[in-house]
Amino acid sequence: MTMAILEIQSLTKRFGGLTAVNDVSFSVEKGAIVSVIGPNGAGKSTLFKLISSFVSPTSGRVDFNGHTITGMPAHEVARRGVVRTFQETTIFKEMTAMQNVIVAHQLRCRASSVGIFFSSATARADEERFQASAAEILDYLGLGPVGQMIARNLPHGNLRALGIAVALAAEPRVLLLDEPFAGMNIEETDAAVKMVRGIRDRGVTVILVEHDMSAVMRISDKVVVLNFGTKIAEGTPSEIQQNESVIEAYLGRADEEIGH
Amino acid sequence: MGIETKQEASSEVKGSGGISSGHDRLPAGSKLRFFALAATLLVVVPVVLGRSPYYITVLTNAAVLAFISLGVWVTFSIGRMNLAQGAFAMVGGYITAILSTRYGLSFWLCMPLSGLVSAALGAFVGWPVLRLKGVYFAMITLSLTEAIRLLTLNGGDVTKGATGIVNIPRPGAIGIFGLTIVPEFSGADPLPFYFLACGLLLLGIVAVWRLSTSRLGWVFRSLRQNEDLATSIGINVGKYRVIAFAICCFMGGIGGAFFAAYHQNIYPASYTIADSVNFMLYCFLGGLDFILGPVVGAFLLVIAFEILHAVQDYQALIYGILMIACMLWLPNGILSLAVRRSSRESPARK
Amino acid sequence: MEQMLVNGVVLAVNYALIALGITLIFSIMNILNFAHGQMFMIGGFVVYYLYGIYHLNYFLSLVAVVAVLGVIGYLFETCFFRRMRKVATREENSMLLAVGTALLLENLALSIFGEKQRGVPPVVTGVYRFGSAFLPANRLLVMLLALVLIIGLLLFVQYTRMGRAMRALAQDREVTHLMGVNVNRVAAFGFAIGAALAGLAGGLLITVFGVNSGVGNFYSIKAFIMIMIGGAGVVPGAILGAIVLGFAEAIGYELLPGSVTYLLIFIGLIIFLLLRPQGLLGKPWG
Repeated sequence: MTMAILEIQSLTKRFGGLTAVNDVSFSVEKGAIVSVIGPNGAGKSTLFKLISSFVSPTSGRVDFNGHTITGMPAHEVARRGVVRTFQETTIFKEMTAMQNVIVAHQLRCRASSVGIFFSSATARADEERFQASAAEILDYLGLGPVGQMIARNLPHGNLRALGIAVALAAEPRVLLLDEPFAGMNIEETDAAVKMVRGIRDRGVTVILVEHDMSAVMRISDKVVVLNFGTKIAEGTPSEIQQNESVIEAYLGRADEEIGH
Repeated sequence: MGIETKQEASSEVKGSGGISSGHDRLPAGSKLRFFALAATLLVVVPVVLGRSPYYITVLTNAAVLAFISLGVWVTFSIGRMNLAQGAFAMVGGYITAILSTRYGLSFWLCMPLSGLVSAALGAFVGWPVLRLKGVYFAMITLSLTEAIRLLTLNGGDVTKGATGIVNIPRPGAIGIFGLTIVPEFSGADPLPFYFLACGLLLLGIVAVWRLSTSRLGWVFRSLRQNEDLATSIGINVGKYRVIAFAICCFMGGIGGAFFAAYHQNIYPASYTIADSVNFMLYCFLGGLDFILGPVVGAFLLVIAFEILHAVQDYQALIYGILMIACMLWLPNGILSLAVRRSSRESPARK
Repeated sequence: MEQMLVNGVVLAVNYALIALGITLIFSIMNILNFAHGQMFMIGGFVVYYLYGIYHLNYFLSLVAVVAVLGVIGYLFETCFFRRMRKVATREENSMLLAVGTALLLENLALSIFGEKQRGVPPVVTGVYRFGSAFLPANRLLVMLLALVLIIGLLLFVQYTRMGRAMRALAQDREVTHLMGVNVNRVAAFGFAIGAALAGLAGGLLITVFGVNSGVGNFYSIKAFIMIMIGGAGVVPGAILGAIVLGFAEAIGYELLPGSVTYLLIFIGLIIFLLLRPQGLLGKPWG
């Protein structure tokens, strides 16, 4: 049995009177693709922020590779390998796509700060490595042709891919994808599904938050369902599709479909 | 210098690699231009204007003000409007004043110490204060300038309150093995101070440029453009903000040290809110996208007002009008005018 | 002890006038009026000339203050800030524009009025006693007038059409525009009122403290401190900030020598911001 790379234990988050996440627990196995779904306002985004330490929980904890990461500053959690993407297109607007990705490599820089300042040999070797790696990531996400374009001029569809490219460049062990399929048509979704699978094949565990049921059911090893901040179901896609409480949770929402 | 199109920046990127040339417009061709500037300042000016102490003084002032403004530019590079530089120039000036008058320390030791103390204070205050952004940061830094003034006013015997510290000794000679490398700065000859000022400025430009194109510079850039994204890829945003601010305060402190020895006095009134505002104005006028922006802005304004001697009484008033005009009609600064119109993208939100 | 309380209340009410003015402008237009202190100062000078030199009725001179500052505020919005909204490539530009307006007013005043400190005779004479505390009748009057103005402002914002338009604009610019409200007009009006409030505060306080063309920054900083403490852009925040600052000053000036008070206020402010950067009632840094 594969080890759980991420253990979420009794995570709860209260904002004043509102409980956004209520005692949610589940584990994520290494190399799995886990999807967190639920109607709007179910607390999925908050859960993501809790896992990546952008928000601290009222109670509960998150263990990554056996170590508790709750309470660590967000950048430290990212350095350890838990990297999140953002729902709104979040990129470095004034840099080129290539520069966006290279900046994310800063973590992996081996040369000391002084060495960089005076352009030591190690610094230059690092730079070459970053360039090659960035080019590879951009190509992988289909952004090769637009590598030299300033990010704010990129077509909207590319912006999300760039966000993922930046996250990948930070060499994550666990990647938290925030609605990667949002607003995509069938072809785009297919390509995105392939991309997410490819990311997993590179050795990255993927957790995604999503509304698009068909994509979720195709791609996930495990699905966790939230409603009003509480976990109401957890299981394989087929188990979830037949789960009574899940169907009930979604019945009231006319604009959701529950898989094909 | 540093004048080129956005397209050139991109092709520069293709050629030399994704990260070694920055958005801050100083690609390879500018090495030539830098040396031209250095030559002008260090050779041409002394030869042509060496006999007129008045012009030398004006340029000395401009050079150090430009140096101090470069510090403010660094804070802007992490996305903050810093209106506290007057405070740190004040701190630097007082440190030099106190160390040289009370303890007889040589200016050449005082100056770096002033920079370091200012930087330390900046780091200490910056840690909480840099969490604020936009107008909030501007407000608190403006208040900081005032707070430091009050500190010097109430510094008791150390800062001598409102009377300030006078008779600050001029820089002494530096010699090795009996050979004088740097002569003693006399009151009669303005050139040694001028060379020191230009030396500081040129060093400052090189340092800031190197910073800007280095890994640290890119970290700063990422902070300015999206702090959340930077955090998500593992950048310790808090730490790097403080580093940038400390660098800024270091430069402010050094500049303050210079002026203390130059004017040979310092008072609580030496640096006011208006001064803090001016440093920001120089950056804006020259162009915030350009490392040479603060330099151009400072030189232009200082020289212009000396030329407009007749209106010197209304100097501050014209400053105000200029600021307003600059914001309305030249929001990207003077150097941005040199960007060829064809490559101009439509007005974008930065 | 009682003197500190009395002083605190008096200062708090007057300062609230200042805080509300800057808050109004900030909430409607998202601009920090760096020139607020200078507007305060000009209000003082209007009263100095009309009431002090020409012996016009004090209340009429206050009306003149509203007229003068209202025009200034209106002009600033229409000539400067409105244009800025069209041209702005970055948020910092509007900020520096505001700083420029402050410089403009300050140095205009310096050129016209000179540097000297000016004062006016108190509007009413006599002193009241509250326990062991003394309160000059003039200060009481000034406080009551400020109170009237504050209440008037709050009623205006709550119940008049223009007031409601301002509140709508403060909440959501887009939606208000779509509802057919002339955003430009409301903004200009808002700026005029904000400026007038600053001027009125100045016109009131000149009878107590006097005025000179250099106090602008001093009072701008007070305004900043108040909204940093209370929370920018929210009316209750402004009032809360005024109360805190008023009492801090009253207590400080009573117990500590001169300028040490403000030094401590600044240190306290920085520590406070460490714990709560958005102020007591504000939204996280706007």
